[in-house]
Amino acid sequence: MLEWIYRGLGKRRITTRYPRVPEPAPEGFHGRIDVVSGEPVPPALAELCPTGAIAVDNAGSVSLDRGRCILCGECVRALPQVFAFASVYESAAGSRQALLTGPGADQASAEPGRGALADQAAMLRRSIHVRHIDCGSDGAEEWEITALWNPYYDIQRLGFFLTNSPRHADVLLVTGPVTDPMRAPLERTWEVMPQPKALVAVGTDACGGGLHDWGGVDRILPVDVYVPGSPPAPIAIMHGLLLAAGILTAGQVMA
Amino acid sequence: MSATGIEQLPEWLRAGLEPGGAGEHRLAVDAGQFAAAVDELRAAQARFITLFTAQTPRPALSAVFALQGELLLLQAPLEAGGVPGLGELADRWPAIAWAERELLEREPHSGGEHPLTGQRLTAPDPDLIEHEVAGLDVFAIPYGPVRSGVFEAIQFLIETGGEDVMRVHTRPFFKHRGMEARFAGLAPDVGVHVAERVAGIASVAYACAFSHAVERALGVEPPRQAQRWRAIHCELERMACHLDVIAKEAETTALYVGQARFQILKESVQRLRVRLSGSRFGRGVVVPGGVRGEAGLSTGELINAIDAIERELQRDRRLFLKTSSMTDRLIGTGRLERRLVERHCAVGPLARGSGLSTDARHERPYDDYRRLGLRVVTMREGDAMARINVRFGELFESLRLIRQLAGHLGRGARDLSVPLPKRGSGTACGWAEAPQGELLFWVELHEGLVHRVHIASPSLRNWALFDHAFPRDVLTDFVFIEHSFGLTPAGADR
Repeated sequence: MLEWIYRGLGKRRITTRYPRVPEPAPEGFHGRIDVVSGEPVPPALAELCPTGAIAVDNAGSVSLDRGRCILCGECVRALPQVFAFASVYESAAGSRQALLTGPGADQASAEPGRGALADQAAMLRRSIHVRHIDCGSDGAEEWEITALWNPYYDIQRLGFFLTNSPRHADVLLVTGPVTDPMRAPLERTWEVMPQPKALVAVGTDACGGGLHDWGGVDRILPVDVYVPGSPPAPIAIMHGLLLAAGILTAGQVMA
Repeated sequence: MSATGIEQLPEWLRAGLEPGGAGEHRLAVDAGQFAAAVDELRAAQARFITLFTAQTPRPALSAVFALQGELLLLQAPLEAGGVPGLGELADRWPAIAWAERELLEREPHSGGEHPLTGQRLTAPDPDLIEHEVAGLDVFAIPYGPVRSGVFEAIQFLIETGGEDVMRVHTRPFFKHRGMEARFAGLAPDVGVHVAERVAGIASVAYACAFSHAVERALGVEPPRQAQRWRAIHCELERMACHLDVIAKEAETTALYVGQARFQILKESVQRLRVRLSGSRFGRGVVVPGGVRGEAGLSTGELINAIDAIERELQRDRRLFLKTSSMTDRLIGTGRLERRLVERHCAVGPLARGSGLSTDARHERPYDDYRRLGLRVVTMREGDAMARINVRFGELFESLRLIRQLAGHLGRGARDLSVPLPKRGSGTACGWAEAPQGELLFWVELHEGLVHRVHIASPSLRNWALFDHAFPRDVLTDFVFIEHSFGLTPAGADR
């Protein structure tokens, strides 16, 4: 046992200092897809996307829905002058509308997040208990959530703890588009959590259905923070949790 | 290839052999002979893989078996009356149970009347609990689908008298998303994105097995360089999955430094995969016909990264194996006899931990595994420790293979993919050894588009054995045994 302790102590610090110090994604990381051109495009372009995440309006303005985008890159390969992969972690947003991007996206009507927890939980900011429920993910989101507690990310240093009881939970992380058999367990878990509480949809499937046409978690329960990605990287999920707790606000640039 | 396994089969069965591609033999029988043919294959010591209905070229009840390095597809025409004996195949051969239940649930027309037909596989029945309790002073604990910790949704119904685990019933399908149907109508190079998202932690293996099926159906061979890259990505994925299992075992013993060490190694593998593919899960690399894009990493950098991981892993393995509080919980826990594993046709590290040398990379090698000289790691003990030791052995074998593959990357032509024939049609099986075990895809292509897909996931097949993994075990062994299986509900439920 002593050898394990020496083994643990014998290494330099590897833990990220995010959010105090920015953590840029490695070059070439497929964090999200951005619309990089404001030029009008032909309406047939929407057909490029296998999940229907791309829409083109009558004026030829293109919009991309990150709640459906699975980062397959079909659009990037077909039209690199319009779409590009961005090596960015922070894509979480406080409303479904805010997941739409591009010149055709109606950002004006995007509501600010519910902020249920952020408004009421100032005193909780150093101790937030997180519960996870899988409602039909592909299993990758669970790996990335688990990684938050590994030495690289160590989210406990920010006061986030994993809890096994919904009775102790302040934040519920939901993965997957909510399959029929998981609907009742999800509703029950949310119901028994004490107020104030926040729900974070983790992954494109949970945000807007992703590959599946039946929609995301918000067709069943109100979602406070959407973390798109297929799957979102640990820092992306950490960013979503910090938004939910009101420690960061959407669009805030870390300095 | 030798056909000794097939030569053992009786004359009447061999009469139905159709000429097939290398390594895949098709056996056509009458509907009335299907059950008898399954019996013959069992007698010939074939390994059952899956049961499903094919639609091309005509609707057929189909079963896939592995027989001494060959793949055998048994097919009987599906007619209005159904196939006699379907619904009772599991009584003859327990390995068929889940596949048969699933088929009867999803396509009740194929089986005629059977008590299981009406059972909702995908929406577990809450009344089941009362009916399963075995006797006085015995109670059943339903564990899941909402788990403690961050785990995928699945339910275990544990019958116990207080400490001893008497029976465990595994109840998957809480996460059934209809992934097989999601492929229909997609071009193969788009379908591969769906394949990558069936079981996210085994994205590369799923993309490979799907691509192999498409390539075999269309008669396409990917370039050598692409085959090497596929094998490199497959081995990195295997390493991440095995390290995840070992870190979870350490967490369960509260060996926190050990847990942290194996999590660090897993994270280094994930970060290496970002540099090679842009994705922490190796997504977007494998595509029918080859691979996409070159890596943003030189061969030297790849080998250096592999060497660094190996040095750390050697020390951590040594410490893990000499920490008695860790190994005490694994030795003798969840013992699976070789004969039981054979009867249930289990695959992957689970089967190899009970002395079976089954590995798709070795039995029916694909991509660059045909030239690599894979060493299959097996242990005889059959307990959780053996399953972990198999994974430790495979971690070092993966490192060796990646180093060998990286050394070959510079040789020969650098083409990464070949185009698929336009509007091509055909049907074929494709397979790959996922970190959880042998994975098989059946793919039907109509004029260049995917018409139908069936997936035989290692997780669903191995979970049938979970109910038998508690011969002398108590409740607190449960989590150790579950982690030592290392399966993914997303793959099983689809």
